[in-house]
Amino acid sequence: MFKEGHSRELFDKLFRKGWPMWVGGMLLAFINVLLFAIKYPWGASAGYVNIGQNLFNSLGLEGFDATAISLHAVAMLNIFIILGAFASSLWSKEFGIRIPPVGELIKGLLGGILMGIGATVGIGCTTGGFFSGVAALSGGALFLTIGLLIGTFVALKYLLWEMEVFPKFSMGKAYSFLVGTGKNSGWQRWLGWIVVAFTLFLFSRYTNSGSITTKVVGWHIFLGLILGIILQRSRFCIVRAFREPFMTGESEAPVAVILSLLIALIGFTIIKYFGIGNIAEIATRAIEMKSVYANFWLRGMIGGFVFGLGMTIAGGCAVGTLWRAGEGHVKLWMAVVGFVIMAPMSKKFIVPFVVRILPESLQRKMYLPDVLGYTGSVVLILVILFLWYLFAKWNEKTGKFSAL
Amino acid sequence: MKADQTLDCKGLSCPMPIIKLSKTIKKMKSGEVLEMLGTDPGSKADLPAWCNKTGNIFEGMEEEGGVQKFYIKKK
Repeated sequence: MFKEGHSRELFDKLFRKGWPMWVGGMLLAFINVLLFAIKYPWGASAGYVNIGQNLFNSLGLEGFDATAISLHAVAMLNIFIILGAFASSLWSKEFGIRIPPVGELIKGLLGGILMGIGATVGIGCTTGGFFSGVAALSGGALFLTIGLLIGTFVALKYLLWEMEVFPKFSMGKAYSFLVGTGKNSGWQRWLGWIVVAFTLFLFSRYTNSGSITTKVVGWHIFLGLILGIILQRSRFCIVRAFREPFMTGESEAPVAVILSLLIALIGFTIIKYFGIGNIAEIATRAIEMKSVYANFWLRGMIGGFVFGLGMTIAGGCAVGTLWRAGEGHVKLWMAVVGFVIMAPMSKKFIVPFVVRILPESLQRKMYLPDVLGYTGSVVLILVILFLWYLFAKWNEKTGKFSAL
Repeated sequence: MKADQTLDCKGLSCPMPIIKLSKTIKKMKSGEVLEMLGTDPGSKADLPAWCNKTGNIFEGMEEEGGVQKFYIKKK
């Protein structure tokens, strides 16, 4: 489209080469702070639950009443993250429908199902529970993190075992369609622009309407697109942050996530500390308790463990699954399907059971500043992030914990 | 480029290509070249980084019809 000149130069700079993951991490943290300022910190699983509930509803199943997808901010955010990543991969000529061998499709589906269970049991996925939760000074988020770490470790052991004992499981016929390289792929870039134009049109429709709810959803549509582009360009991946120290030992992903958390931590703390208002909440306490869920501590840890298994088997967490789906990986399409189907089921059938058997002391809301004060809480998170950084860097050098 | 062995990772997404690559390279002799076929855009950055980390030599990459061919020489 742009033949030459500054616009072409800018376009190439953004879409010819990938962005470093830490750049993605910084931008994502910034958008997460904006999402908090608008309404609520970034999350993904509530969107999967909503889409699943609407699906079951439309099939005539009872007990799955839910807000319409078009009016659910998180569901729309998820959908537009997929579309943003789709547009971004078209522009960068990285789009392609990639169908892996059957064993991989099964792993995608199974991973999605486990993520659906983990996210509802633990209250929160890697994004809402971990990424936003830690930055939101939630005590439960720390235990969710421990669960994620153990789950990732166990599932990675499984993947390595599968490779030794059943190498055929991930072998077989694979297909690719509509790959964006080659001569006749100019239409792909145009399609990318069409996706963006459609999104902007919808954004203006939503924000020009009267109600504040639709305005909020409108901004989620727009920010979803931006998040999708950032995620795809930087290949930002929370699974990698947990997995890589135990696999290749590389520290790129952990460092990117640590940096991102650091920025979100500052932004979230300011919003909470001053009780910076938004359109719906008036009480400072309600703002303070955002992204703090009743998952302290065992409930978060169990959910995190199951989610960690799922995301490692699928090869993408709740958000990593979205952008990879947009890029055309059919394995992750299966993960989306598994997640969407299982999350509402788990919420209806598994979660009530967990809530019943766990004593209340193991599934309560714990806001760190209530115990440690704001200074103590922030210092605690900073120390954890710093120790994680030191571990990732030390392990990168020594390879003590790396399997590959 | 001439390769001693070919590893097909078409259709696979992260982390499968790296796991397979690591397993295959371990069984090869020093100086042998592996050709790896893949379709995951992530591999374009992951493979050179992995080689850099493990000391194996990244010999280059070709792309044709959406299939990437990576050449890696075992250290």
